Amino acid sequence: MNRQVWSGQLLTFMINADRVGAAALVDKALAEGIEPRQVIADILDPAIVQLGRLWEEETMSLAQNFVASKIAEDTLLRCIPENSVSPQTKGAVVIGNIEDDFHSLGRKTVGLFLAAAGWDVHDLGNDVPAEDFLEKALEVGACVIGASAMMQTTALNIRKLRELIDSRGLAQQIKLAVGGAVFNWRPDLVTEVGGDGTARNAVGVDELCMRLQAQVCGEVTP
Amino acid sequence: MTPRTVWLSCGVVRAEMEELQRRGLIDGELLFLDSMLHMDPPLLEARLTAALEQNVDQPGCLVLVYGDCSAHMLDLVSRFHVGRVPVINCAQLLLGRERYRQLMREEAFLVLPEWARRWEHIMKNELGLNKEVAHGLMGENRGVLVYLDSGLTPVPEQHLVEFSAYSGLPWRVETVTLDCMLAALLEAQSVACNLL
Repeated sequence: MNRQVWSGQLLTFMINADRVGAAALVDKALAEGIEPRQVIADILDPAIVQLGRLWEEETMSLAQNFVASKIAEDTLLRCIPENSVSPQTKGAVVIGNIEDDFHSLGRKTVGLFLAAAGWDVHDLGNDVPAEDFLEKALEVGACVIGASAMMQTTALNIRKLRELIDSRGLAQQIKLAVGGAVFNWRPDLVTEVGGDGTARNAVGVDELCMRLQAQVCGEVTP
Repeated sequence: MTPRTVWLSCGVVRAEMEELQRRGLIDGELLFLDSMLHMDPPLLEARLTAALEQNVDQPGCLVLVYGDCSAHMLDLVSRFHVGRVPVINCAQLLLGRERYRQLMREEAFLVLPEWARRWEHIMKNELGLNKEVAHGLMGENRGVLVYLDSGLTPVPEQHLVEFSAYSGLPWRVETVTLDCMLAALLEAQSVACNLL
């Protein structure tokens, strides 16, 4: 079957909250010999991108999007076998949902993609104060902090993290990646909260972190 | 003296808004939109915009009793120069920020009185979740159903029992006063009136 057709079917399963159908489709693709990374790239990724478009066009509610995204995460997990993390790490990255934000799904998916791409991921969870992000980044020597927010009101809390990084003189050593649905609706928000970059979905996060890492000069020291 | 206030509110807290007005703790005109508009974000924004356009030129101040429920909620606030309750959603409006955070850390799924009676329609018809999928999704992301009892209607125990069976989550009741909600309303009203 054409991979575009597979992807379209997967999207339909995601939208219709058909978790079993989505799992069966991915298992079938893998059984037919499609490499897991190609399932992600050719089937899952286009479906996620299309899901993002539907979300941006506001043709889905928050609850519907959550269900669909959860099924996307299931699919991803099927394609990333346990212990698949590459032995050579690309470096440490700290991720979390900013203070007051509890929409964890996107962040978890980002963590999975980053770990699969070879990053040493430190996931701080939901509702993380700016100080905790920075403290962990310094502890593990991360050159990228990824702060996630679902809504505009909570995204604005990322400004505290920006201010903290700047006030400690670490802007050249630690880059701030921001993400979450609201940044896709409102790209201007990336600058407004002081983000150094963003990715439209989890698929682009590895490239974003690589780019931000390349901008970092010097070692991170407390 | 506080200028006349129009409260444009989500219907999910209709009973609570009317109770606060009945007690004389807020005054002015109460307008409500159907809470089910949350399932259709463009329609929610369209209805909100229409209601704001209709009321913005009237004397007095206008307060939105909505969380960050749509992509452009804050744009509506600045475009129409209105106040908005400083919360991210209706559950936080009832609970206050700190208690909301505690419950979210507990992975609670918060159930408001108005929503409780609609759970079956929303979960099954709007989201299309059968029991098996609901069990899986809810169990992986939530630990408990917490019904927020504002004391204005009897606790819908049968609904909660059925929702618990459907979701696979235990349930409990948390009593909430209207104090946090009132504080948020008055804060928003103060902001709105200062914009005049």
